[in-house]
Amino acid sequence: MAASRLPEADLEGIEGVRMTWNNWPRTKVEASKCVIPIAASIQPIRPHVDLQILPYPPLRCKTCSAVLSPYCRVDFTALIWMCPFCYQRNHFPQHYQSISQTNLPAELYPNFPSIEYTIPSYPQNPQNFNTSTTVCPIYLFVLDTCLLEVELDFAKSALKRAIGMLPDNAMVGFVSYGTQVQVHELGFSEMSKVYVFRGSKELSKDQGFCDLLHNEIFLLPASECEYTLNSLLDELGTDQWPVAPGKRPLRCTGVALSVAAGLLGASMVGTGARIIALVGGPCTDGPGSIVSKDLSDPVRSHKDLDKDAAPFFKKSVQFYEDLGKQLVSQGHVLDVFASALDQVGIAEMKVAIERTGGLVVLAESFGHSVFKESFKHIFEDGELSLGLSFNGTLEINCSKDIKIQGIIGSCSSLEKKGPAVANTVIGQGNTTAWKMCGLDRNTSMTVFFDISSNEKSDPSGTNPQLYIQFITSYQSPDGQTRLRATTVTRRWVDGAVGTEDLVSGFDQEVAAVVMARLASYKMEMEEGFDATRWLDRNLIRLCSKFGDYRKDDPSSFTLNPCFSLFPQFMFNLRRSQFVQVFNNSPDETAYFRILLNREIISNAAVMIQPSLISYSFNSLPAPALLDVSSIGADRILLLDSYFSVVIFHGTTIAQWRNMGYQNQPEHQAFAHLLQAPHDDAELIIRDRFPVPRLVVCDQHGSQARFLLAKLNPSATYSNAHEMAAGSDVIFTDDVSLQVFIDHLQQLAVQAS
Amino acid sequence: MATPGGPRPGNIPPIYTPNSLANKMQELQINQPNLPQSNNPTVGASRPPITTPFGQQPPTFAGTRPGPPLPSAFMRGPVLPSPSGPPSTLSRNVASDRPIAPPPGSQPSPRFTSRPLPPGSLPSSMGGATLSLASGSSPQLGPGPHQQLFASSPLMSGPAAPPPLSTSGPLSNGLPRITPAQLQDGPRFPPVMGSTPRPPPIAAPQPARMLSSGSSSQHPLLRPNFGGPSASASLATAQPGPPSASPQNMTPSPAPSPFSAPIQSVPPSSGSPYGMQTCMSQQQQVAPPPPFPGLQPPRMYGMPPPLPNQSMAPTSPALGHTGAVVTAQSMVDLNHIPRPIPSSIVILHMTRQGNQANPPPPATSDYIVKDTGNCSPRFMRCTINQIPCTVDLLSTSAMQLALLVQPLALPHPSEEPIQVVDFGESGPVRCSRCKGYINPFMKFIDQGRRFICNLCGFTDETPHDYHCNLGPDGRRRDADERAELCRGTVEFVASKEYMVRDPMPAVYFFLIDVSMNAIQTGATAAACSAINQVIADLPDGPRTAVGIATFDSNIHFYNLKRALQQPLMLIVPDIQDVYTPLESDVIVQLSECHQHVEILLESIPTMFQNNRIADSAFGAAIKAAFLAMKSTGGKLLVFQSVLPSIGTGSLSAREADGWRNISAGEKEANKLLQPADKTLKTMAVEFAEYQICVDLFITTQTYVDIASISVIPITTGGQVYYYYPFTALSDPAKLYNDLRWNVTRPQGFEAVMRVRCSQGIQVQDYSGNFCKRIPTDVDLPAIDCDKTIMVTLKHDDKLQDGSECAFQCALLYTNVYGQRRIRVSTLSLPCTTLLSNLFRFADLDTQFACILKQVTSEVPSTPLPQVTEKPKNLCINILHSYRKFCASASASGQLILPEALKLLPLYTLGLLKSCGLQANGRIDDRSFWINYVSHLSTHSAIPLVYPRMIAIHNLDEKEMDDSLIPETVPLSSEHITDEGIYLLENGEDCLIYVGNSVNPDILRKLLGISSVEEISRQFVLQQYDNPLSKKLNNIVNEMRRQRSSYLRLKLCRKGDPSGTTFFSYMVEDKTPGGLSYVEFLIHIHQHIQRKMP
Repeated sequence: MAASRLPEADLEGIEGVRMTWNNWPRTKVEASKCVIPIAASIQPIRPHVDLQILPYPPLRCKTCSAVLSPYCRVDFTALIWMCPFCYQRNHFPQHYQSISQTNLPAELYPNFPSIEYTIPSYPQNPQNFNTSTTVCPIYLFVLDTCLLEVELDFAKSALKRAIGMLPDNAMVGFVSYGTQVQVHELGFSEMSKVYVFRGSKELSKDQGFCDLLHNEIFLLPASECEYTLNSLLDELGTDQWPVAPGKRPLRCTGVALSVAAGLLGASMVGTGARIIALVGGPCTDGPGSIVSKDLSDPVRSHKDLDKDAAPFFKKSVQFYEDLGKQLVSQGHVLDVFASALDQVGIAEMKVAIERTGGLVVLAESFGHSVFKESFKHIFEDGELSLGLSFNGTLEINCSKDIKIQGIIGSCSSLEKKGPAVANTVIGQGNTTAWKMCGLDRNTSMTVFFDISSNEKSDPSGTNPQLYIQFITSYQSPDGQTRLRATTVTRRWVDGAVGTEDLVSGFDQEVAAVVMARLASYKMEMEEGFDATRWLDRNLIRLCSKFGDYRKDDPSSFTLNPCFSLFPQFMFNLRRSQFVQVFNNSPDETAYFRILLNREIISNAAVMIQPSLISYSFNSLPAPALLDVSSIGADRILLLDSYFSVVIFHGTTIAQWRNMGYQNQPEHQAFAHLLQAPHDDAELIIRDRFPVPRLVVCDQHGSQARFLLAKLNPSATYSNAHEMAAGSDVIFTDDVSLQVFIDHLQQLAVQAS
Repeated sequence: MATPGGPRPGNIPPIYTPNSLANKMQELQINQPNLPQSNNPTVGASRPPITTPFGQQPPTFAGTRPGPPLPSAFMRGPVLPSPSGPPSTLSRNVASDRPIAPPPGSQPSPRFTSRPLPPGSLPSSMGGATLSLASGSSPQLGPGPHQQLFASSPLMSGPAAPPPLSTSGPLSNGLPRITPAQLQDGPRFPPVMGSTPRPPPIAAPQPARMLSSGSSSQHPLLRPNFGGPSASASLATAQPGPPSASPQNMTPSPAPSPFSAPIQSVPPSSGSPYGMQTCMSQQQQVAPPPPFPGLQPPRMYGMPPPLPNQSMAPTSPALGHTGAVVTAQSMVDLNHIPRPIPSSIVILHMTRQGNQANPPPPATSDYIVKDTGNCSPRFMRCTINQIPCTVDLLSTSAMQLALLVQPLALPHPSEEPIQVVDFGESGPVRCSRCKGYINPFMKFIDQGRRFICNLCGFTDETPHDYHCNLGPDGRRRDADERAELCRGTVEFVASKEYMVRDPMPAVYFFLIDVSMNAIQTGATAAACSAINQVIADLPDGPRTAVGIATFDSNIHFYNLKRALQQPLMLIVPDIQDVYTPLESDVIVQLSECHQHVEILLESIPTMFQNNRIADSAFGAAIKAAFLAMKSTGGKLLVFQSVLPSIGTGSLSAREADGWRNISAGEKEANKLLQPADKTLKTMAVEFAEYQICVDLFITTQTYVDIASISVIPITTGGQVYYYYPFTALSDPAKLYNDLRWNVTRPQGFEAVMRVRCSQGIQVQDYSGNFCKRIPTDVDLPAIDCDKTIMVTLKHDDKLQDGSECAFQCALLYTNVYGQRRIRVSTLSLPCTTLLSNLFRFADLDTQFACILKQVTSEVPSTPLPQVTEKPKNLCINILHSYRKFCASASASGQLILPEALKLLPLYTLGLLKSCGLQANGRIDDRSFWINYVSHLSTHSAIPLVYPRMIAIHNLDEKEMDDSLIPETVPLSSEHITDEGIYLLENGEDCLIYVGNSVNPDILRKLLGISSVEEISRQFVLQQYDNPLSKKLNNIVNEMRRQRSSYLRLKLCRKGDPSGTTFFSYMVEDKTPGGLSYVEFLIHIHQHIQRKMP
């Protein structure tokens, strides 16, 4: 991990939970006055050095089925524990008999708020539950063949490498498609055998595969089919159906995915499986089409979507919604690796990918490192492993008065009703349990809470602590069934808004990310939603509520340090790709949002507000202001905006480099200076998924836009004369941070 | 393959490797002695393939293929001279017709002389053969005259040999007393009917009455009579007494005795029957003493040596209800009844002589045509060789006016090839109004500057560069040099304007059923092996492409592209809405995928060995194949083994329900013979539109609803082959040969055909296997030499007496070499106002073929009783018309048959008893029969209803002359003895019936079994090392060659279902549902009499 981010890692801690507010207002009214919603970003299976894995199943409360936690009150003499959520008293079973104050099982240790249990897959036969009875993961590759020869070759070699990296017992299947879908039967020895489905028509569900699959073998352990697959890939050519001039190739991504889903559904329901789709262009045929076959019709843009001028969009989304539902019910994951210069329909597929917890990578070419490295990454083993897990379910128990509105993130609601279900829904709601067909170490999501109690509630001030328990069961990469119980406690804060306690519990980084996620969500869900205005209004309200100022005196405005970074986050969020979608295609936007929703807070924060490090002879590498003024002719800047990592050489540096000084022994230092950002970039890139695009550019070069777009335009053509030499200007009419803050102060101090 | 204890149907099929199969083929296909080599098809195409379908050599073009495509696809000419003995060269070509003739013109006489039984020749005189049915009411009546009748009746009287015939003939037949009459008018072919009728002296006055009454006291007498202008043969039922002696025992001895009463004098001058004299002149015979043509009595009767010649006594019991009559006192000497007499003599036929159309020889005879202006009768024959001037005249005759067109018919090897005429860019000269093609009957006038169309009468300017001066005879001076001006059939090279696209390649797509049943019965293996062997016979060159797919409940395509390491199987599972899995590479140039195809075909049977899918998605499969072939068109050859049960166009086993309905009340029983729904028809029309022709090879052991699925081949110009019940032992050989003939026979693709007629006549309708989108044309995705199209005609105006009426059939097609051609056949026939001429020039074979086709086409839509009425009524009406208008003077007790149509009653009877008209027949058998008839050629029509039967147990007793095939035996169980072995063939099936008391030695020699009990249902004819077996094999091969069909061999024996099958072919017998031949004649006679005023 990048050294700069090490401290942040700890913020999640063993719990893997970060909240916008760490001290909660007591009442609904007060909560609403807090402006920033009460939300928790959770990382359900976050790896942690201290995490204990217990080789036995958890004890669960008999009424609310909460898992035994350190926050339970335990009566060691009576061997009774009391559930902190429902106050049910539960007896310890026989084998807990020996516990005492000094002999605690791991799950009662207060420093293990998160603990993981291994659940026997075959409870009837507990002796060998965690050994050989593991379930092998299934990988069903779906390859687009409507590609240029060279692109297909890239994709094929990536696939071959991936297959070589799979564990021997992983089951593998292969589907290729173009105008039609070809399901390759790997277990047929006589000759290569392929089932071909037409691309223009959806496979009817009931007919589908069930009749078809008698004894055909489509899935084989990697060790058995590697050779077959490789030779099959060798023979595989690009789609041979002719493409009329002026037309797009017929590409039936939708049917291909639905065939793949059907294939898994026919044989593998409930077993962890992922469909890994390599898509090279827009779907033009059959369900899920996003654009017409005519090249003169461009793929829909945000503008088209706004004006409802994207005739394929809604139908396509509906199709993927259904596909997503099907996959969720089967417990399978859809991963999409899209590599194309144009859009391929991620915007439409997003729903299926997100609901199933799939991965998505958007690149320009299958030969590009973004694809190649990312694709390789998912099959990595060991330290770099993503820890791809399957078939997760998340249950949340919480103290009385806490309601759950829903989750924004890669999961889908299991519609499990309970007292903790809030009336209002955000994201996947109406439930206390969620399905995560696919999840990995970094998977994180945002749970929105609501508080149900009102002023009058229970003055007795019962328990100042509130408890929330996240129970995640999943199939780990090695096939074991695990259950992780994370129990967190937070403090209730009584009294009016603005109290010290409340303020000190504010996590502005989380708040920024949650606001970004919520804004993105609303932009998608609410027609005509104006994100900028919404963000501004909320920021102003927040500042009004929590700022120190004299009314109508902007100069008097100050913010508590707990809030001080927040306005800048909002400033950058307003300018970011999440809100300013018109600079991006709908596919890119969808892609960014999926990642925003599933990344951990620190990474998500970088997406909103990139980090900038400056390298120069004069000083050690140091974080620099995300401002155009940070540009210097004698500096190298390293920008990490999550999706891209930019190494930016100042003019002078670039000149030196072009002259080759770094190769001269007397300029060793220069060589080091040049190298340093590359090494750091390497660190950033290495453990990130998807792999960011690395852009190395020089000042005034065309690629420099990747940096300039992210910088605060404190220097534009309008005030260029004020800038120091060697600096740069950004040609934009966007307001600079300073202008933004000025306005904010003005508005915040106005009487509401 | 015939290993003892070998595979049986239920078992896992043997897997054939090509070689082993080839070896087997060797065994199966009886080799000609002079061609001992193996028929291993792989031997190489360059050599004239020795094995040929039907034991004949493949059509010449096979041999010529390597060379430049010759103008006419199959040039026999060149081949002929080849050094290989006459048998080989000739044999193959003769294919479609008759036995190889000795060099034309040679006299077949030796045979006759050698024949043990010199049969009597029929007393046919010119006009017609009359059968007078005189029922002697009283015994005494009979004896008198009848005796004589009898004597004459055997007909054997005349020495069989043609030459002798002419001399003896006159003496041989007829009743003495008739003679005078005959003599009077006999020789003449009195054009006027008036003159014809001579009341025969004899005439039993009351026969009709008696017959109708059916009282026992009366019995019908058949007695030869002088009917019309021509001699008549009268059949008299006579008393057992006197006659018995002669006919019965005559058999073995060359009994001249029968002839003792030579009756008719046939004018010696009269030409010899067709059969006999091969000279060009013979056609004329028609005019003078046509009688013989049909009847070559010698062979007919002579042959059944062991038969007690239906001595009256024995016959009677068989005669059912009339039997009473007969038994009582009258006997019918069946030998007197007209029967077909196949002739092995080659006739040389000039289509026109003396600027007159020459009536063609019988379609069933062996003839060599010299095209002297009219097209060969092979290509087009008319039911009547003179055209009635008015519609009234035609309707009076009650005959049909129709053409049977077989545009690509296989020529005789000795015939000149059809000339190809290339008019270059401008295309052939045509009439600008009716678009008729230039032909010898277009009249050039005005120094050749203009010409008058013989079809529409329009006068056209001669194109400048086609101009030629006229000679003194009014013909163009270059007429004899230009084929289109002197030949009835030419082929024009089609210019661009005849092409909507480049001529299509020859695409062959094989679609094989691999469902559980097909695999387990060995049908799949047989199909694969057959295809594998046939691949080598497909036309060479870059224009030939093949594709292969298999199907069960899914459809499996195979990517045959060479670049791939091995064929790739592509499965299409959506059988409700199919598609093709690849844009290209499913159909690949043969040269590029030869190896793949071989590997694939070898592995298919094993690959699906354990297939447990019983369903068959036939409809979906052909649809998918269609989609794959759509861009080019071509031939789709489907091997189907079970009822299509799933997917598009699936069918139900409605036969079972059908039976219930039938037993319930006969209502709409024929529904089962109609397609179940329109799905397949719609599909077929679409196929035709894209020039895809479907042939179906049905290798099944169950009901497959041929009625429904045959719609596809019928509409697309294809054909159904039916192997039921399929056995892996005996059927693969036929399958292979059928398939081979299917792809090697002369054929064309993407064809359009139109028939034009002279003014006054127009085409009423076409029928056959094709698709018709506009009324005037028929679209033929493919057409081959065996396909015949019936064209019915109607008058729309009066024709000029003395003028000629022309018919022109133009077939635009692409041959297998990718050349676009227009084959134009023109037939110009005289018009007549004389009814008698119509009868005299009636063409029996064509007439009957038309009746057969018309009746058959009605079977699915009309209740059976009505259907069977039709041919009977037609027969009655024609005979009645003749009786009434042309032979009115003859006694009413006589059944008088026009000579040309004297076999009409027999064939009609055969038709009534044929499988398609049997209500209790298997539905599929009937459907197949109906389908088979729809494209049947003229010369195959008669064998179908009146099969050829020969005795084969006494082959060695007979000295075979150059004709391989012994004389035929009448189809009557009286001619079957328990000691005999008989072979019966109808062009499709071949039954070998083994009597119960056959000499075991013969049995062993012929069939390799020692007793009748060993006969099994599956039979493979093998050649053993003895002359008898060799002869038999030669005979079978010859028959196969003649029929262009491999003939499915079945062994039959008495007391077994197979025996019942065999006897069902005995059309002259009385059956539970049908009359005997004699009864039928009587029946017809009654009806005629009733109609007479």
